[in-house]
Amino acid sequence: MPPDSGHTFTTSGAARATSRPTDLRARGEPFLWGLGGALAFGVMMVAGLLLLVLWNGFATFYPRPIHVVTLVNGDVIAGEPTRTEDFRPPATEVAALPAAVRAGIETNLGFADRTLYRTGNFDLYGDDFRWITDYAVARVATPPDLYLFERLEWGAFIGRIKSVDLAGATFYAGGIPLDRLVAAHDEARRRWRQIREIEHDEIGRVNQQIESERLALRKVELRSGGPATDYADAARRTDARVVTLTGEYEGLAARAAALKAENARYTITLTEIGGREKSQNLADIVRFYPANDLSVLARLGVYFSRWGEFLTAEPREANTEGGVLPAIFGTFAMTLLMVVAVAPFGVMTALYLREYARQGRLVSIVRISVNNLAGVPSIVYGVFGLGFFAYIVGGTIDQVFFPERLPNPTFGTGGLLWSALTLALLTVPVVIVATEEALAAVPRSMREGSLACGASKWQTIHRIVLPRAMPGIMTGLILAMARGAGEVAPLMLVGVVKLAPELPIDGIFPYIHFERSFMHLGFHIYDVGFQSRNSEAGKPMVFVTTLLLIALVALMNATAIVVRNRLKRKFVGGQF
Amino acid sequence: MNRKSALAAFAVVLTAPFAVAAQTVNLDPALPDYKQVSGVSGSIKSIGSDTLNNLMTLWAEGFKAMYPNVKIEIEGKGSGTAPPALVAGTAQFGPMSRPMRATEADEFEKKFGYKPVAMRTAVDALAVFVHKDNPIACLSLQQVDAIFSKTRKSGLDKDIKTWGDIGMTGEWAARPMSLYGRNSASGTYGYFKEEAMANGDFKDSVKEQPGSSAVVQGIASDKFAIGYSGIGYKTADVRAVAISRKTGDKCIEANADNAYSGDYAIARFLYVYFNKNPNQPLDPARAEFIKFVLSKQGQQGVIKDGYFPVTAPLVMNDLKILGLMM
Repeated sequence: MPPDSGHTFTTSGAARATSRPTDLRARGEPFLWGLGGALAFGVMMVAGLLLLVLWNGFATFYPRPIHVVTLVNGDVIAGEPTRTEDFRPPATEVAALPAAVRAGIETNLGFADRTLYRTGNFDLYGDDFRWITDYAVARVATPPDLYLFERLEWGAFIGRIKSVDLAGATFYAGGIPLDRLVAAHDEARRRWRQIREIEHDEIGRVNQQIESERLALRKVELRSGGPATDYADAARRTDARVVTLTGEYEGLAARAAALKAENARYTITLTEIGGREKSQNLADIVRFYPANDLSVLARLGVYFSRWGEFLTAEPREANTEGGVLPAIFGTFAMTLLMVVAVAPFGVMTALYLREYARQGRLVSIVRISVNNLAGVPSIVYGVFGLGFFAYIVGGTIDQVFFPERLPNPTFGTGGLLWSALTLALLTVPVVIVATEEALAAVPRSMREGSLACGASKWQTIHRIVLPRAMPGIMTGLILAMARGAGEVAPLMLVGVVKLAPELPIDGIFPYIHFERSFMHLGFHIYDVGFQSRNSEAGKPMVFVTTLLLIALVALMNATAIVVRNRLKRKFVGGQF
Repeated sequence: MNRKSALAAFAVVLTAPFAVAAQTVNLDPALPDYKQVSGVSGSIKSIGSDTLNNLMTLWAEGFKAMYPNVKIEIEGKGSGTAPPALVAGTAQFGPMSRPMRATEADEFEKKFGYKPVAMRTAVDALAVFVHKDNPIACLSLQQVDAIFSKTRKSGLDKDIKTWGDIGMTGEWAARPMSLYGRNSASGTYGYFKEEAMANGDFKDSVKEQPGSSAVVQGIASDKFAIGYSGIGYKTADVRAVAISRKTGDKCIEANADNAYSGDYAIARFLYVYFNKNPNQPLDPARAEFIKFVLSKQGQQGVIKDGYFPVTAPLVMNDLKILGLMM
């Protein structure tokens, strides 16, 4: 409600004139309403956007029923209803319809409804979504024996189980022991994860060693300038090592092959609604459920298991399925690295500008330049990062430290480090400005008190000024972090890629791989939204990923805010 | 033309809600099977076409399933980004949705002394998409040119601005066409410009999209839209229009058979370029990746992505040029 700030004006205005509009304007009432309205509008837009993302993001993974739609012409289609829209069927078509339907469309001002069904079974149909016009439908049923299978490849399969082969014991529809099937499926999935562990971690380690042996040899070759005696020795040693490693590799590969052979004994044969069959290894099915025969609890089970997969698995099928773990990790690692880079630079610059530099024309120019940096389009930073960091700095590092890997670049191309540094450049003005403000807000009396007690300038800054300015500096860092985590355009040039399942931090020396390209949630949204084969199937993923990115940024900000509040509390009452 | 298209439109609309299955594409059974070998490691980075982006990712996933510790990174911002990446050595593979231009190949040759090598990895019918409610049955290449180009080099004397200009009636007649296309870094843009527009200029009203999928989404939400992109991006919301070479010629649907036979006027190969020194064999990681892409297993991914697989004779030819055996 408007406060009484305008009282003095009202009384004097009322004394002078009686015209109401002047009155109002003088009191500032319309202005106040404008302010309130703008705030309400802004809050509504933000809340609306958040609600849209939350609703779509949270609803995506909830299992939907499967409808079996029998059409007037006898065709049968099974699928999850996705969305409905109205459209105006062409007159030629309406004319051919039965009178009752025609009348219905006419009363509806010429509009009819149609529903988009997700039919799945891309490998059999050649498409996975289909529009069905409502008047073409004879009846809709939801039979309880229809299952939805999420597969490792080809997306979902919607149909019935025809038979199951569990290591030789074959069961046919009607007599399938569901508990045994579920147990066998869990077992098969467990073996599948084991295979992946062997292939990814253990074989990965061996391959890494072989590769480093090869590179070490190449280094010797480069140093000795060709086949000299020490090169020949090194080559012999390398060969011996490689032979042992290859032996190790073969052992691991044999173990994985044995598990794979075991998995091949558990198969399931599915039939789609039209009767076509498809046989599948149980291990290649991520999860399955009878969509029309699920209790609420079972639905929630599927829902949370999907979330679990999304948060912890690698992407599949060109990023449209599976999880986004590498992207979460990449976003997180890059943002942290950026903060590590931007904090000392920003704070030191601000300290010098505010505390040491003689305030004059030069400092003003520097300040204006810093402020202007904040207005440079982010893509320009991307181009700079690519040209300066990746090509010039990275190229030099490659020539000096990694000549054996050339012509394949190591640091001479986009990567985690260059991305973090580019974003640090982008956000450094925010930190500088915030830090300067925070430093300026420390009362002069405190500095003078400190100096009067005999402390040097640096001691004053270090013990008195910086701690008091810390909450303000943290605010700057939080703003920088929020800006950096949401930025995508420059990253596309300096290291973010569509697919990079290798995490930038892992168990292989040197543990943090600054040179690796990485995946990023923001880019993932762009990629799935604008580049995926089936934009219809990609849409839900876009919302879920957006939700996740917002959550991640909120989480990082919240952590920083908690830290800041602690700092603030520490200095409450700390005044002289 | 008018009556014919109306008739065809009727047939399309009538069958559309009842169509049970889109055509599924089959693999050439003579394609070689991929056999796993041991000792493959290293890293593969691909930079190039975004039409091939998903395809490269699918291949990478399949390849990685077999060789777990091959490091793979895929980046796709347009065919135009492939040649510079190959020249700079930042990528081992450069997928392109159009053949490399002579100037680009020269640039490469200047640095390495030989030309880059290409393999043909898939067939794409560049489709002209319209909204699913659009009854238009067929367009000639000249009409397509007049729709998208302001220079009209294919010789149609009249500009096509509204749907009425190609003979549609009713609510369509007065509605202007809303044009969707790709940005200029895209190979799809380049190919369309060359083949459909005889190197003419695009109209300024073409809304340039950052990805092929974005083109399809634009058309899906705009009833009076028309746009072009790879057939692989087709969704239930859009329809690919049949294309005839000249007005009055037979209308050719954008499907696998017509793309193979060459009847479909704007079908193209999707290429992957790489750096191969003619005097040295390829390193194992790259050689195996190439073999995988051209095998049955790799071509399965092509179908998965909505494009058409290459045939066995083509594969054998490419492999022979590369000196690889399966």
